[in-house]
Amino acid sequence: MELLVEWWDLLVTAILRGGIYALMAVGLSLVFGVMNIANFAYGELYMLGAYFAYFAFTVLNFGPIPAMIFAAMMTFIVGSILEKVFFYPLRQRAKKQWLMNSFLVTLGISIILQNSAKLFWGSTYYGITQYWGGRIRGISSMSISMDRGVGFLIAVIAITALILFLSKTRTGRAIRAVSQDEIGAGLVGIDLNFIHTLTFSLSAMLAGIAGACLLSINPAYPTMGIQPLYKSWFVLILCGMGNVGGSIIGGLLVGLLETITYSYFSGGWQDVISLTIIIMILLFKPNGLFGNTGVKSAVE
Amino acid sequence: METETKNINKATENWTKRLNKIGLSPLGMGLLVVVALIPMVITDEFILRLLISALMFAGLAMAFDFTAGFINIVNFGFAAFMGMGAYTSGLLVVKLGWSPLMTIPLGGFMAAILGFGLGLLTLRLGGIFASCMTWFVALAMMSTTGNLVDLTQGYAGITIPLLFESVTNWPYYYIILVMVFVIYILLVCITRSHIGLAFRAIGQDLEAAASSGVDATYYKVMNFTVSCALAGFLGAFYAHFIGILTPTLMHTSHTVEIMAIAYIGGRGTIWGSFAAAMVMIPAMEFMKDLLEFRMILYGVMMILVMIYYPKGLAGLWEKLIHLFSPKSEDTQGMPNGAGNKIMKRI
Repeated sequence: MELLVEWWDLLVTAILRGGIYALMAVGLSLVFGVMNIANFAYGELYMLGAYFAYFAFTVLNFGPIPAMIFAAMMTFIVGSILEKVFFYPLRQRAKKQWLMNSFLVTLGISIILQNSAKLFWGSTYYGITQYWGGRIRGISSMSISMDRGVGFLIAVIAITALILFLSKTRTGRAIRAVSQDEIGAGLVGIDLNFIHTLTFSLSAMLAGIAGACLLSINPAYPTMGIQPLYKSWFVLILCGMGNVGGSIIGGLLVGLLETITYSYFSGGWQDVISLTIIIMILLFKPNGLFGNTGVKSAVE
Repeated sequence: METETKNINKATENWTKRLNKIGLSPLGMGLLVVVALIPMVITDEFILRLLISALMFAGLAMAFDFTAGFINIVNFGFAAFMGMGAYTSGLLVVKLGWSPLMTIPLGGFMAAILGFGLGLLTLRLGGIFASCMTWFVALAMMSTTGNLVDLTQGYAGITIPLLFESVTNWPYYYIILVMVFVIYILLVCITRSHIGLAFRAIGQDLEAAASSGVDATYYKVMNFTVSCALAGFLGAFYAHFIGILTPTLMHTSHTVEIMAIAYIGGRGTIWGSFAAAMVMIPAMEFMKDLLEFRMILYGVMMILVMIYYPKGLAGLWEKLIHLFSPKSEDTQGMPNGAGNKIMKRI
């Protein structure tokens, strides 16, 4: 019975953790699938989300939910500016080397955003103690902080909204069409520039929401982006790139993997173990866990 | 009289050609002499140290360009290979008391083994996949190094004996100069041989190269191993020059820095990375007061190069040479002339 309770606790923690990973990975996957950009600046968008939420919550005295909405809107705007300023001119020029060039541009963006954050806000932690106080009690002795629970709920809502948007609305279907065949989509009259900007902004928004949700757990800091970035890349590579549905399962899997390693291994070894496991999986299944279901796989 | 001058002309021409073969032009030779004489003129130890680190970055950026610019694979864990060399050499000296002169090449060797293994496993797959895998491995190596406290003293850092006991820096300067010079010659020789041709073919169009009988995996792994070995080699030198090692040496930000230099210098040229490092590292140091602004400048430069001028500084220089002497299409000017020739032959 005790073992069962322990497993239950693990599972709950894993799902809570994995929800946010899934949210991040979906955004990364969307941009990769539609625009073919391996976005390395994604962690910085997450960081911006955290900063915006912090300022909305403490300086502007917004409530928790308005603060998150504010962060989402701001990162959406930042995303559209980034796309218009950097990727639009690049798309006009780069033809064959697009994948590598765009990847390197995102690297440049990541350097710029990170150091701008340092410049404006300094290398201090901006954190809040809690959005909502209190804890949620489950069937076991373990209790979950309210923030984690609500954060997970918001992740679920955001992902559901995105999936509904992609499958039900005209614009969403246009995005999917572009991801399947860009030239064909252009031929039937889809405004490619608009779709690209929208996709990038949406993906930035998802990162921003993730950053805002976790503000009370991870305080805003200029270099905070690297951890969520590589975790989203885990998920993406694990589940085939550009596979939005797979990213959800992948996010939960990575959450589970991490929770297990975190509870059974001590000290700083957790990262090593989970990295090693993921490297092993990738070596034996380089196409990702779901084979060829992704729009694009790692194997070009 | 006339025949004599002709003979001399011919002799110099022959020499120029021979030098060109290993990637040196008269201009390059002249610069080399100037660089070699610097420690005699400049006695400021700070500037000398700065030049040493510029040379080291030049070597690293060249090794990076060797994979990124030729086979079009971004080694996103480059700093980890450097760290591998640095820790191998440093720990052998500290724990076993070996001589640094022996352990520095060993550091390169260990990095080469790691690079070979990783390359064998990942390089048969696509570019982004290989980048991510090298990145993950680098992250794993960084945390492992940080956690093996008994061996490496973790994030507190381990003190490594220096190469020389004297406080002056000129011996280091000459050692790194020779190292970088040898690396440059080696890389240029490889890229101008038929192996280099295969590299370029793979980098430009993998499928076309494979279908015309180039064993892509073989050449990719070879290239990757050489690049990693050089990174480890330079990293080992770094360990004995700086005297303290922390796992942050392997951090992604160092890879990004090297990558930025290599790409701003111009991909696929080798000497472009060298020139960019020699210009940018001192420039960045002198702009130290600007703090974050210089890093932002780095990012902006990188983006501008990527969007508007993918050929980088090397491409710019070649354009200049072209403007001033129309007949420089041959192998005159900068060493890349020969590279162009090969390209034309394709």
